[in-house]
Amino acid sequence: MNAEPAEPFREEVRAFIAARAPRLRHQEGVRVPQSPDEQREIRRWLRELYEAGYLGAGWPAEWGGTPDHHPLHDLVLMEELFRARAYRPLDQVMLASHAILAFGTDRQKADLLHHIRRGEHIWCQLFSEPDAGSDLASLRTRAEPKGTDFVVTGQKAWSTDAQWADMGMLLARTDPSVDRHAGLTAFAVPMHLPGIEIRPIREMTGSSEFCEVFLDEVRLGPEHVLGDLGGGWAVVTSGLASERAFVGANAVQLEMMFGDLVSLCRAARIPDGTIAIAHEDIQAQLAAALSKVEGVKLIVRDTVERILQNEEHPSDGPLAKLAYTELNVELCELALEIIASSISVDAAEAEVVTRWYENFLWSRALTISGGASEILRGLVGRQLLGLPRDS
Amino acid sequence: MGVDWRAGWPLLAGLGVAGFCVPKARGGYGFEVAAAVVASQELGGALHGSPYAGLIASVHVLAGSDVDAPAELVDGILAGERVCALGILNSAADKSGGDGITGVASLVDGAATADALLLMAPSSLDALLVAEPKAWTVDPILPTFDVSRSCGEVRLDHVPALRCSGGTSALPLYRLLLAADTLGGVERMLHRTVSYVRDRHAFGRPIGAFQAVQHRLVDHAVRTRAMSLGVAEAARMLGDGSPRAAREVALAELAVSSEATHVLHDLVQLTGAIGFTWEHGLHHYERRAHHNARLGRNPRSAARSLAGFEGWLGRRSHER
Repeated sequence: MNAEPAEPFREEVRAFIAARAPRLRHQEGVRVPQSPDEQREIRRWLRELYEAGYLGAGWPAEWGGTPDHHPLHDLVLMEELFRARAYRPLDQVMLASHAILAFGTDRQKADLLHHIRRGEHIWCQLFSEPDAGSDLASLRTRAEPKGTDFVVTGQKAWSTDAQWADMGMLLARTDPSVDRHAGLTAFAVPMHLPGIEIRPIREMTGSSEFCEVFLDEVRLGPEHVLGDLGGGWAVVTSGLASERAFVGANAVQLEMMFGDLVSLCRAARIPDGTIAIAHEDIQAQLAAALSKVEGVKLIVRDTVERILQNEEHPSDGPLAKLAYTELNVELCELALEIIASSISVDAAEAEVVTRWYENFLWSRALTISGGASEILRGLVGRQLLGLPRDS
Repeated sequence: MGVDWRAGWPLLAGLGVAGFCVPKARGGYGFEVAAAVVASQELGGALHGSPYAGLIASVHVLAGSDVDAPAELVDGILAGERVCALGILNSAADKSGGDGITGVASLVDGAATADALLLMAPSSLDALLVAEPKAWTVDPILPTFDVSRSCGEVRLDHVPALRCSGGTSALPLYRLLLAADTLGGVERMLHRTVSYVRDRHAFGRPIGAFQAVQHRLVDHAVRTRAMSLGVAEAARMLGDGSPRAAREVALAELAVSSEATHVLHDLVQLTGAIGFTWEHGLHHYERRAHHNARLGRNPRSAARSLAGFEGWLGRRSHER
């Protein structure tokens, strides 16, 4: 890939992360701060990333962007955050800023963007519902017009970060009488408003990444509407396409996981006392895994190159995500199989075992969220292969 | 397909397909591995009868060797009038003393009709040219599985041979082209199956609308894309003379040899009973993919090779 022009930038980013990233205990899949101290540190870190021009550089100059920004730098930043296992800004922060930039009024831009840049506004998404996940457009939360205001009632689910978010991007139904997409409107919602109740959900990983959010007659004004009335679908889907080059960071993630797999095989002792990697069958499994890892890395890099050249096909992103998340599950299953066949793991690599257990459980979040594999297969089938819709 | 391929070969050779890995000074294009890979994919997709992988690898050695290979042989190969097949001598029979070579090469594609034979010695980078047709005997490999090409076991008994050096890229090139041949077939069959499921109706709609069909085809498309990018990447590195080329070739070989027959065999299932017929022809690609894996790399040998490159073998020496 055209990595060379980015090399000095990469060095700079690496040094910045080493010096400034908060030192949090890294647990795969856990992103929510575990204490007020961690929360302060994360906000400080986000502010510094914006101040240094590593985040938000692609914004218009009047809102703090850098005119000569290169999208490749977004990718380099994300790759290095992965490599350092440092805290990374979540999709919803990017989603919110893009939605505000693309659909917000000048007043909303002036009111909201600087809070994001200063780490003062953490955003969450209020999209999914208990009965509307993959089929998001079937959502039932109502935002009933009352004069120029709206009264919102409903239940949201799977909202990452809602328990400490300052703002939420809400998708609600403002008009039940029209086409299900056309009846939806997006809102920027301060999370402290009366009528909002947040309950963290404990997941199978043991941590609480997601929340249920109950909205009980929450009163919103016209200043909270993001984009057009009835134009909510365009707002949330355009945002989801932002920072598309970030998909490239998954190549780094796969590289690191494969490194962990080899470390595990060098440290895992099977019952006869030998290490796993000394066995030909394990080497064959590792080789098969490596060939798949390299294949998906090529898919991801190929996708990034097309994105950077503005030549991507609509199916490229979904295909890369499908390939990456499914291989992720496969690698985790292989790691657990190797751990299961061992009686002990050398103490120096105990951390690797922990990481595999966390990764294994977390891997299912990745094949379900942000487009479940089954939805993505349908999408790629239609868009890439031209197969008919199943209806 | 099959035996008649030589009649049309001078025409294809006239387009330059035989010269992609021959130095310009000898009338070729240099070392255009990526172009040879594309040609191999197309020939694989067409079930062409030529031993293209072996031909390209051997003419690459002949034309690049510091020993003067017979000029008219190289010229003849470039013109499509002569054919050189490539074989790998069985290790037990690697004898090449002063009185010629005596030995066996078990799997040689196109040996029965070739005009010359280049034999790679497994333990060294040297190659031995046998330029005298009929100097070797060929026993067909039975049972015959791939019917699109002919393959045989070659026996040599005190046959005079010319030692050629400079064959470092010959085997990776040979194997990569075999993988490309398989890939070309998989790509063509995937495309054909996708068209088929769009047209074929059952229960009142195209069968491609059923998720049971659609999702598997998408998974095969993802696998095929990974294979295709892997083969292209290996070609690029081999062409550039990258020190990582051999590893990259092994990765491509592993991906193709372990996925291709699986994908093809499932395409038969997705095509239904018509896919099971001789005439539909999917089976030809399965047969050919299997045979390519036997000639070049199979998952087991590719994995052994990778284990060496990755340093998993401990103190034991790596195979190249």
